[in-house]
Amino acid sequence: MIEILSVTGPASVQDLGRFDQYRFGIGTAGAMDDVALRAGNILLGNDENAAGIEIPMVPFRLRFDRDMAFALTGAGVEAEIDGRVIPPWWRSHARAGDLLDIKAMPRGARLYLTVGGGIDVPMVLGSRSTQFRGEFGGLHGRPLQPGDILPCTASAATIGELGVEPAEITLARPNTAADETIVRVVIAGEYDGFDAATQALFWSSSWKITPQSNRYGYRLQGPAVKPRVPIEKRSHGIVPGVIQIPPNGQPIIQMRDAQTSGGYPKIATVIRADLWRVGQARLGSKLRFEQTAYAEALAAEAEMSAYIERLRTIVRLIEEIRTCRSS
Amino acid sequence: MPIKLTDIARLAQILERSGVDTIEIEEPGQSLKLVVDTGPRMAASPTPAAPAADHSVIAKADVAGHFLAAHPWRDKPFVAPGQHIQAGAIVGLVKIGLLYAPIVAPAAGTVDAVIAEPGATVGYGTPIVRIRPPSGSSPIN
Repeated sequence: MIEILSVTGPASVQDLGRFDQYRFGIGTAGAMDDVALRAGNILLGNDENAAGIEIPMVPFRLRFDRDMAFALTGAGVEAEIDGRVIPPWWRSHARAGDLLDIKAMPRGARLYLTVGGGIDVPMVLGSRSTQFRGEFGGLHGRPLQPGDILPCTASAATIGELGVEPAEITLARPNTAADETIVRVVIAGEYDGFDAATQALFWSSSWKITPQSNRYGYRLQGPAVKPRVPIEKRSHGIVPGVIQIPPNGQPIIQMRDAQTSGGYPKIATVIRADLWRVGQARLGSKLRFEQTAYAEALAAEAEMSAYIERLRTIVRLIEEIRTCRSS
Repeated sequence: MPIKLTDIARLAQILERSGVDTIEIEEPGQSLKLVVDTGPRMAASPTPAAPAADHSVIAKADVAGHFLAAHPWRDKPFVAPGQHIQAGAIVGLVKIGLLYAPIVAPAAGTVDAVIAEPGATVGYGTPIVRIRPPSGSSPIN
């Protein structure tokens, strides 16, 4: 088990998400940076969909009540286990009673703590992810609080310390300035409702991520982007990544806890291969949108999958060599 | 325990499947090196003998790859001369493809020197960091 000692901001239990209930209006929830959650689970030999803890703010402290393997992936943090420094994207081993202390988050926006075997909260509608909107899943359907006890599936394996290259390095995008994240988008349903000058403004602007940004969505700030004539649509199905333009002309990117439907005009959609980059973009930093085509979006997804596959292969290789030598 | 022929066959299969071209295993009394002969080979790195006269202990690489003195996300190296470290502290990384394997201090003490050049190719046993144990304690090298 794990005991939460101190928590800042809405930390929550998340797996990859709840994908079978969308038609009933139940959003996916799930890790905002699914690549990082997968990487942590791969490092530990877990099912890649095993639940971990998504930590959006620090300081964050917890205690392990028994010997346990764990990994930290996602944001770059200053963290210590029992006084030992933990490098980024790293798996390590805690002994019973050890304190994990996440002190600072100099890079990225969300840290993932995964544990050997996974966080064992009940499956609700096919997932362990916390659904903030519906207040179910995760631990009692809410953000973690000091004093919370999280059950963990027992894992027999003892593993050595090991790190992997962060996705941000392997999957680095060219021409990325510090404090600006470039995300690829495909144009969406109402793109043609904006005139050419407004479309150009959308592409050329650097969009500031306002403090009103969270798991539900990111509200951006920049020049007003408004359609030629006001567009009012009936609510229709939307997905995480959709960029809506409300009447004030300031874009909203729908994220993992988004509603499943909405009526604002949609100018574009962040491709799935870049949605994790949005999840790691910090409040106050800038986003820029780069237009891409469907085929390129699929290629980007293939590149992301190849990175995950390389992680799987290399970590499995290390374990097989260990098994081979000890058997 | 001796390495069996079936182990070698299995390791060779794993190497072939994973695209890794070299593996070295060393245990007391035996060593095994497998090289998949499809790509350019990794240069064998020299393994200079550790100075024997002083009481220093040496943190060594235990896998072949490239030495990283700092994590790519960090400006500061893991250790710097003069720094006190505990036994088991990470003093650097060996990068092998996407893997970062830790190099750990075999004993507590003060960092004397980082011997390996950042980015250098290192192999099994390459000395990385020289550590001076606290005076009065016996070396464990």
